[in-house]
Amino acid sequence: MQVSAFVDGELPENEAELLVRRLSQDAVLRQQVAEYLAIGRVMRGEYSAQGSDVLRERIAAELDERPLQDVVDSVVRVKSARYVRPLAGFAIAASVALVAIIGLRQTVDLDIADTALVAEDVVSETVPVMNDDEELRQLLLLHSETSDSFNSRYTAAQILADELVEEPVEEDPESAEEADEVEPVTSQP
Amino acid sequence: MLTRTDTHKAAACLALCGFFAASSAMAGDDATPDEWLDRMTGAVQTTDYEGTVVRMQDGKNEAFKVVHTVSDGVVREKVISQDGNGLEIIRNGNEVHCIFPDHKSVVVEEWNNQSTLFSTLPSSDIRFGSEYDVLIKGSDRVAGRKTVRLAVLPHDNYRYGYRIWLDVETGFPLQTQLIGDENEPLVQVKFADIRIHSEILASALVSSYSTDTWKWTDVPRRKVRRDVETDWVGDDIPVGFRVVSTKQEFLPDGGDAMTHILYSDGLATVSVFVASANDKHKAKRSHVGASNSYSTVIHGFRITAVGEVPEMTVEQIATSMHQRK
Repeated sequence: MQVSAFVDGELPENEAELLVRRLSQDAVLRQQVAEYLAIGRVMRGEYSAQGSDVLRERIAAELDERPLQDVVDSVVRVKSARYVRPLAGFAIAASVALVAIIGLRQTVDLDIADTALVAEDVVSETVPVMNDDEELRQLLLLHSETSDSFNSRYTAAQILADELVEEPVEEDPESAEEADEVEPVTSQP
Repeated sequence: MLTRTDTHKAAACLALCGFFAASSAMAGDDATPDEWLDRMTGAVQTTDYEGTVVRMQDGKNEAFKVVHTVSDGVVREKVISQDGNGLEIIRNGNEVHCIFPDHKSVVVEEWNNQSTLFSTLPSSDIRFGSEYDVLIKGSDRVAGRKTVRLAVLPHDNYRYGYRIWLDVETGFPLQTQLIGDENEPLVQVKFADIRIHSEILASALVSSYSTDTWKWTDVPRRKVRRDVETDWVGDDIPVGFRVVSTKQEFLPDGGDAMTHILYSDGLATVSVFVASANDKHKAKRSHVGASNSYSTVIHGFRITAVGEVPEMTVEQIATSMHQRK
């Protein structure tokens, strides 16, 4: 497979350029390659591969050559579709495969979304894990309890992880109790 | 999005015809989509397995080592993230330990249902409503095993679809995709390798870490939820969604009670939370992965709709809520 040869540094430069160009234009292929690389890493017990990082960077560079107006135009096209989908949704749905391999930050798309949504008086944002909107995180946790899907459960676990980030690791259990109204268990279960 | 037009529906019919042509060559297996779903449900509840799963969401790939066993009706499983914070989730019956190595912390919580981490689909019967078609789309190989691919196709844009690859031998789901607009997967969970019905040692189900000296925290039980009646209703709820429960909830900060109305179309669920509003913030939409939320203030109450559905769905549900007179 060409991707494998690229990652191993064995693909001739002219073929590498063709590969990067093709990947920059073919979302389905990008997804397949992302999956291939991820599975390969797992099978080899690796967490990252320098060659795949290089590939990611080169595709990103290829896409960066698109004029900004192209991006704006694509947003306008989406807004005039059968129904008007909020732009943050576009950022997720249409670009997931792209983001998967290129690692573009969602905030780039959301910046565009925020500008376009001013007239709607709606604030749009990604909420994750480090967001300070505590109430919304709690509502997400409550909702996740209604679902037994892996995604909901895992998202809930990561939200818990973020809550841990907010308190020092070496914290006095009593002060933690006061702060979070969570009773720490200091003995083994 | 998936087969939302007549053209797409025609294509789906053709694909279905194609399947029947292909399936005749498939080891004589002529099970219907419903029968495959039944096999899947049974397999998820009874299959012992261990393997490696790759999950794709929000542009990130994350790998997990997974061990799962069911004995005398008690589910035991361990999921270890191979990336990021190295999260381990260990379940022994109803007790779940979330182990965070980077914080040397263990969070203990209780799950009150029999679901497992890899149920892969909400447990609701997806034939509950009529908002989806379930089709067999062909055969494939996943994790080196022969699979049949099912497509769960929503009839409109208010919900996501699924693709599910089921192990032909056992019916176990080896790969699932949550499908959004543009027909692209929003989330994918896929086994890279799996050993089904393999002998699983008890030692495989304990933490990889010595957590004796780590900080242990119990997730406090929330106040008991009460079923309540509410005068809040939606007058423009997307077709197929209906109220399946209405409960009173409290957030851990001890704030005022709020009303939690759960809508479901049989597969997708949307929670609507109604609470007194202390401010008049602008409407706000957000997302985590494939989950979207929309929050707005209506007549002095903050209405927040949350669910693993498209943004337009949570927005339409939230903004259509009003108090019955």
